[in-house]
Amino acid sequence: MADSDEEYIGGISEDEDDSNILQGSRGAAGPASKRRKQKGGAEFELSRTWETLVEGADGTISSTVEGLLEASKRKRLLKDTTPLQRGIIRHVVLVLDLSQSMTEKDLRPTRYLLTLRYAQEFVREFFEQNPISQIGVLGLRDGLALRVSDMSGNPTEHISAIQDLRSQDPKGLPSLQNGLEMARGALFHTPSHGTREILIIFGSLLSSDPGDIHQTITTLTDDKIRVGIVGLAAQVAICRELCAKTNGGDDTSYGVALNEQHFRELVMDVTTPPASYSQKQSTSSLLMMGFPSRTIEPFPSLCACHSNPTSGGYLCSRCNSKVCGLPAECPSCGLTLILSTHLARSYHHLFPLMNWVEVPWQRASRSTACFACGIPFPPVTLREQRQATETLTKGMSVSSRYECTVCKNHFCIDCDLFAHEVVHNCPGCQSRAATQSGDDVYRHQNEIDRMDTSR
Amino acid sequence: MNAVDATEHYETSAHDPAPSLLTVILDTNPHAWALLEQTSRSPLPFSTALANILVFLNAHLACNYANEVAVVASHSHKAAWLYPTASPSARPDPDGDVSMTADGSINGQKDAGRQVNKYRPFRIVEEQVTSNVRQLMDLTSRTDMDNNSSTMMAGALTLALSHINRRTIAWADAHGGGDTSSVSRSGGPDTSTTSLLTRRSTTTAANDGTAEGLQSRILIISVSSATGSAHQYIPLMNGIFACQRLRIPIDVCKLSGDAVFLQQASDATKGIYMSLSEPRGLLQYLMMAFLPDQRSRKHLVLPTRVDVDFRAACFCHRRVVDVGFVCSICLSIFCEPPENGDCLTCGTHLDMGDYGAKPALVARKKKKKKVRANGTGASATPTPTPTPGP
Repeated sequence: MADSDEEYIGGISEDEDDSNILQGSRGAAGPASKRRKQKGGAEFELSRTWETLVEGADGTISSTVEGLLEASKRKRLLKDTTPLQRGIIRHVVLVLDLSQSMTEKDLRPTRYLLTLRYAQEFVREFFEQNPISQIGVLGLRDGLALRVSDMSGNPTEHISAIQDLRSQDPKGLPSLQNGLEMARGALFHTPSHGTREILIIFGSLLSSDPGDIHQTITTLTDDKIRVGIVGLAAQVAICRELCAKTNGGDDTSYGVALNEQHFRELVMDVTTPPASYSQKQSTSSLLMMGFPSRTIEPFPSLCACHSNPTSGGYLCSRCNSKVCGLPAECPSCGLTLILSTHLARSYHHLFPLMNWVEVPWQRASRSTACFACGIPFPPVTLREQRQATETLTKGMSVSSRYECTVCKNHFCIDCDLFAHEVVHNCPGCQSRAATQSGDDVYRHQNEIDRMDTSR
Repeated sequence: MNAVDATEHYETSAHDPAPSLLTVILDTNPHAWALLEQTSRSPLPFSTALANILVFLNAHLACNYANEVAVVASHSHKAAWLYPTASPSARPDPDGDVSMTADGSINGQKDAGRQVNKYRPFRIVEEQVTSNVRQLMDLTSRTDMDNNSSTMMAGALTLALSHINRRTIAWADAHGGGDTSSVSRSGGPDTSTTSLLTRRSTTTAANDGTAEGLQSRILIISVSSATGSAHQYIPLMNGIFACQRLRIPIDVCKLSGDAVFLQQASDATKGIYMSLSEPRGLLQYLMMAFLPDQRSRKHLVLPTRVDVDFRAACFCHRRVVDVGFVCSICLSIFCEPPENGDCLTCGTHLDMGDYGAKPALVARKKKKKKVRANGTGASATPTPTPTPGP
């Protein structure tokens, strides 16, 4: 069996090669044709996903599929627990190629739509990993750089701005130089203690520039701006040079996507903070930070950071000087000023919600409806019927109830997913319907608090 | 392509405006209401406030026949549903969520003669809310109140969000949720996790996008004091970020005092924050400021707050601080440097830096003296002279 399979696959891959060489076309054999471009086709690899499937004893592949699903879930959980240094303030400008070449369909559904989708995922993931950082989004279209969204720390703004691009069509030629210059302008005011980075998703093989791009590269290196590029078509010499020069000779920040999965990996790699940013930052330290309150004044006054007249701003909580934007370093006393809401964005990683357990029929009679949303559960059935449903897939609750181990309330699957993926709160624990005396309630509450911090 | 199909589908059915779901979180902490009644110049009794809120709910229901409301009570020791309670047949749980037993029969008999002419949704909301509030107050014992003057705002917010999630899913299923979602819905308990996950993602995508879905918003009517919610800082913030992700504005109507975290909530979710100077005019405030839904708000100048208190609660003592120490690994906030320099949350040993280094001034003076000593000592200047010697 296995031997014949091997031969069969070998035959197919040879056929593919021949057809590629003969036709030299894109389209259905998209990944293969790109593979050829990447390093002269030296790296040759096929992922045979069907080979990882093993038939179970009952002749189905359900157990393997389940295992794969569980494995991917566990991977996600494991990824969350890595001790990342979230205290780094990064400033990133995401530059999207919106030119004609993005209409190519070698990445499904098109380069353009896939880029927009990954860009949204990137923004969301970026703010999970770097909660006090800022992002701006630019686009390259018709030889111009256009502003998609301004530098800010609010992911929803960027995501909706990128979402709006879906209705527009990519057209014209891209201009790397214009994009870089506009990104440099956006990063110009950023404080020196953070990083300055540009990430370009570039689908074209050319750049129609108004001037000398090498001058732009030198100004970028002078401004200590790092550029990373994800290419979608093939390697472009100027991109490699750009990455190498702005990263101190290291061109690993330039990658060309082989397929959809690789593209996603390349983009998501940027969300992890740069490893060797500076020696002082990389040692874990206690930072003193101020959480200033926003004020508004009837008459404009000069802000301490740029000496611009503004009528609103944030007053430093130590020396009361006014800065016009956050996060920033107080120009007079040097205190790091940030919005506490930015810090709080990552707290659900610190105190993750414990997984809820499945409820067997024996304990299911305690509840008739979901505690959170009130949807009725299926009624407790008789013993014979239970036997029939006991053989359901593992991981799903037979009684379709899920129990929080702390507050012992039962929830439905929708609320389970919602609580663990969106809110990161347990509705039952937070609204502790405690019937003990007040003293007990208070102690109980302290206990929960302590449990929270211990984890 | 799928996205294009979906939008077309929505457009065909979106001739009438999408309904909106208003979730009211009512702070029912008896301490705070008693304080409001006693101290303020213009007292607003709880009964009057509740009557006003009911009128406001009716007004929202009247805006569109498909509009929905939900009311959650954020009480002193628990959060409980007031309006969409389960059917009377639901038995009380042993773990005490007794609020699920809405006893409609008693009210039905009593009010049957009086309210036959009332629009039925109005009547149901009114009956359930009043009976549940009464039940909640009856079940509040003296001991519950003695030790706990805070309010379960985080729990109420989580409950409200769960309900919104449920209604959004139900609405998407009913109005063009697509074939796949209906299949995974009908599967019941044996639907696989993946289909649910994908459905979840599609519903959030629909919610994130410009497509017309169920428009939800949350109104918090708060009376409790500012620092009462400090120990719920993290759950409250989690709730706020969930609202931000789902684009649910949180409106805050503050009857007394000021609440730091509710200000941040309305600021982060682009809601309305109003601190009422004249609590007796509650109904007018509600009708004028909080009735418009998200679509009409685009065209209005909203009475939103411009100065926002962005202080945070520390993890060690639950104090509300404006200058704190932050662990660079996990971003936990502490009001003072932790002992031994170990982070209380992630356990990392932290380099303390020069915080708490009081002798900074003294050290500088010493340095200056040394410099002077070097300068005046004349030991440095002669050194060049020996060098040419050999």
